[in-house]
Amino acid sequence: MEKLIIGEHIMKSFGEGEEQQIVLNRISIEIGEGEFISVMGPSGSGKSTLMHIISGLDRMDGGRVTFNNRSLVDMGENELSDMRRREMGFVFQQPTMLHNLNILDNIILPSMRDNRKEVANLVEKARYLMKKVGILELEKRSITEVSGGQLQRAGICRSLMNRPKIVFGDEPTGALNSKSAEEIMDIFSEINKEGTAVMMVTHDAKVAARTERVLFMRDGKVLDEIKLPKFDGKDIERRVEYVTEKMLEIGI
Amino acid sequence: MYKRIILNDFLRSKIISLTTIIFVAAAAMLVSLAAMLVVNLSGALDTLMKEAKTPHFMQMHSGDIDLERLEAFAEQNSNVDEYQVLEFLNIDGTQIVLGENSLANNVQDNGLSVQSEKFDFLLDLNGKVINVSDGELYVPVSYMRDNTTKIGDKAVIEGKEFTVVGFLRDSQMNSSLSGSKRFLVSKNDYDELKNHGNMEYLIEFRLKDVSQIGEFENAYASEGLEANGPAVTYQLFKLMNALSDGLLIAIILLVSALVVAIAFMCIRFALLTKIEGDYREIGVMKAIGLRISDIKKMYLAKYAMISALGCVVGFGLSLILKDMLLENIKLYMGESNNTLLALLLAIIGILCLFLTIIVFVNILLRRFREISAAEAIRFGSTQQKSLGARRVTLGRNRFMNTNIFLGMKDVLGRKRLYVTSLAVLVFSVFIIIVPQNLYNTISSDKFTQNMGVGNYDMRIDIQQTDNIHEKTSEIVEAITNDNSITRFTVLTTKTFQVSVKDGIEENMKVELGDHSIFPIEYSKGRAPITEEEIALSTIYADEWSKNVGDKIILTVEDVETELMVSGIYSDITNGGKTAKAVFQDSSSDVMWNIISAEFTNKTSVDKKISEYVNEFDFAKVSGIDEFVNQTFGSTILSVKKASYVAIAIALIITILVTLLFLKLLIVKDRYNISVMKAFGYTNKDITLQYTSRSVFVLIIGIILGTVLANTLGEQLAGMVISSFGASTFKFSVDVLPSYVFSPIMMICAVLIATIIGTMGIRRINITENMKE
Ligand SMILES: Nc1ncnc2c1ncn2[C@@H]1O[C@H](COP(=O)(O)OP(=O)(O)OP(=O)(O)O)[C@@H](O)[C@H]1O
Ligand SMILES: [Mg+2]
Repeated sequence: MEKLIIGEHIMKSFGEGEEQQIVLNRISIEIGEGEFISVMGPSGSGKSTLMHIISGLDRMDGGRVTFNNRSLVDMGENELSDMRRREMGFVFQQPTMLHNLNILDNIILPSMRDNRKEVANLVEKARYLMKKVGILELEKRSITEVSGGQLQRAGICRSLMNRPKIVFGDEPTGALNSKSAEEIMDIFSEINKEGTAVMMVTHDAKVAARTERVLFMRDGKVLDEIKLPKFDGKDIERRVEYVTEKMLEIGI
Repeated sequence: MYKRIILNDFLRSKIISLTTIIFVAAAAMLVSLAAMLVVNLSGALDTLMKEAKTPHFMQMHSGDIDLERLEAFAEQNSNVDEYQVLEFLNIDGTQIVLGENSLANNVQDNGLSVQSEKFDFLLDLNGKVINVSDGELYVPVSYMRDNTTKIGDKAVIEGKEFTVVGFLRDSQMNSSLSGSKRFLVSKNDYDELKNHGNMEYLIEFRLKDVSQIGEFENAYASEGLEANGPAVTYQLFKLMNALSDGLLIAIILLVSALVVAIAFMCIRFALLTKIEGDYREIGVMKAIGLRISDIKKMYLAKYAMISALGCVVGFGLSLILKDMLLENIKLYMGESNNTLLALLLAIIGILCLFLTIIVFVNILLRRFREISAAEAIRFGSTQQKSLGARRVTLGRNRFMNTNIFLGMKDVLGRKRLYVTSLAVLVFSVFIIIVPQNLYNTISSDKFTQNMGVGNYDMRIDIQQTDNIHEKTSEIVEAITNDNSITRFTVLTTKTFQVSVKDGIEENMKVELGDHSIFPIEYSKGRAPITEEEIALSTIYADEWSKNVGDKIILTVEDVETELMVSGIYSDITNGGKTAKAVFQDSSSDVMWNIISAEFTNKTSVDKKISEYVNEFDFAKVSGIDEFVNQTFGSTILSVKKASYVAIAIALIITILVTLLFLKLLIVKDRYNISVMKAFGYTNKDITLQYTSRSVFVLIIGIILGTVLANTLGEQLAGMVISSFGASTFKFSVDVLPSYVFSPIMMICAVLIATIIGTMGIRRINITENMKE
């Protein structure tokens, strides 16, 4: 499997002097093309920070990250923006949408940056994705007129608009009830099946159990990891049990 | 907890609090200055006119005078308190040299007087009645103001040497609007020069009952007493003295209104963004049962503090600045002795300003009530309910750059927010264009035609000479033989009795001759053509409520003749009271003749004029430019200066407000900005979005401002101009400066402000700001 992201000895700390807090302590991580990976760990262990750094949302203090063989440290702000827009997708725990745009506009916003001329195609594609996640009828609604789960689906549509190589999800199901969460996870599994890598930060063993690899973090370090076969809809109880066992073992 | 909220608010919005304080201070300063000016002007004017004992009624007269008859009239009229006839020895400007400067090109009637014995005293700059010795000369204070001369200069009048020992205040003739200027010399010196000039008499009365001036005026006129010249009353003296400073006060009040408006906008903006920004907190407070009225009170307290601070600072500034503005009043009229009243009125003005701000803030704070706790908690920001922007969707945008589109959409979606900066821009455009157009208008030829002055090159006034007929013919002959003159006309001004209403007769000056050669603009109707027609100046028409087609009765050659009003025109010459007709008359005396002429070769006009000046020293020859310049010159110049100042102020305000607005907006929008950044929009993209907001708002502002300037602004300017005696007013617009350069300047200002204001976008950290 080709490596999509390679992170080596990533260092990140916040604050200065006595206040300084090391959040990522020489972490190394690799994500393969089309891989479905999840990261677990207690609150404050640095999961989000790690995700931010390997996706170019934030800068690291030390170490090295390459995406598709390009080093993020060497890239300027604009290049990072271009990379995120064209090759990555993001879904956050809170729906990060612009209030002044409707659902459809929010979904096509990142792709409009480059492909304005093909707006008709973009709209069509957005509608296709919306249909797939079951929110087609909401396209003209304002973002304040739909539920949290629906917004999360819209966020997924947005992240897929540019056919990204990888989708990052930072607890995308964290704010949802278990039924919605399952539905969202089904969508992610689908995305992954179509060849897009997915990196998921989560607290939920049920979510992690659907992925191929689970990293366990604490205090800015990766303590352990487990591998699972590709999820095919079966054996979910066994997989959850396996993940939970590991969690107990490490003490998360 | 409220206290902490307010304190935080204060610290977080340091810039806007400071700006608001500055604008409130500026407004307070202007209001206070205007109040102090008003009180000082009226006080100083009263003092001056009291000390000088200005006549209540004054008739100028040239030619023969029957002193006994006048004496008898004064004795027999029960209202006369004091009466005197003063002499005014009119000296040609070429014969007066002050220091290095000759008054040859001066359009004023300059003349010598001796100090009066009873009233109408000439005062020195300390307000004392001047005692002048032989060889000493006191010069009207206006020649000090324009640096024509200074104390100690040698002066030569009609060959006799004097020393300028001081300057005088003349309660009658101080103002440049009055056509004459009195120089003070001793009795001996006066007698020595008596034969060198034209004698004019000032027949002056002080009345016992000042309210009866109108009746007295009529009594004087109906006796058929000496009246070859203008008559002026106490009120008119007062008005002339007050006019130029009065205009200044009016302008200050206007500017302060603008500044107050801007201060209001700052407050409005700060509060609106505040309310939007704190939406969630306020909603939560509401939800957990805290009282909104308490929060309201805290905000009110904050703005009371801000405006109180601004008012105090403004008052202090006005105390510092007042001397500068009072300089003119002090020079021309002296000290006013009601400084306390001035301070009191200034403080009252500032208090009114303060109260207005508080009321305004109170109204704005009503928005607090509209906040819904449920929505606030769920979404954390106010919901846009604007349908207009809803229909503008990205999905339908095929033609515009996405960033520009997003910027414009945001403006349409959050109109309430942008209205503030839009209004400031509209104001700025307005105050750039209006003074500019005003300057353009009053400096154009069209305007002088509008003001009763035809479009000719040279004007020769023949006045106060004995045989006016022969002298006029002499000049006419010269002009007829001068082939560099293409057109000319002689207009003769005579006085006629006019009966306006039953039994009331008035003297009216009528200009007779061919009025079609150098036509002027008529605001209504047209020039008189037949002998039965007459045109009236606006002031006459208003005074007698006559309109085109109405009749008036004039006594011509002892016969009552009915004339029809053919037209009405604006006039600033001769106090605005003039009439024009074409009928023949040989009975009454000629008051003056004016010969107007036009030259073929416009480049040699100055040379030709000086030829005529030298040839006909009994007449006053002036170029039209000079005439216009000396009549309106100072007004045109001050409007020009005002327009430059206005441009500077407008640009500064634009930059300041745009900068402020963007900074606040970006802080407020940091969540949206970080979301866009996370999804791959670059800093440049986002900067472009904000720039297009500014530019979009600016374009709307420029359009609205320009429209407003040409409608409301024109009306405002017309009101100012009408105080000079004009009736209709239209801007004559110079397209390039008004509609090309001004917008370009505004755009540059906005762009500069935008570049600086959007720098903050780079510093918005994605991961920190998306946690909301
Ligand atoms: N901008 C910041 N400034 C200072 N400290 C920060 C910042 N962002 C994160 N931290 C700190 O870094 C540590 C790791 O944060 P991070 O968000 O990565 O944790 P996490 O594992 O994602 O936690 P959670 O499961 O609660 O989301 C935390 O202790 C947090 O306080
Ligand atoms: Mg996290």
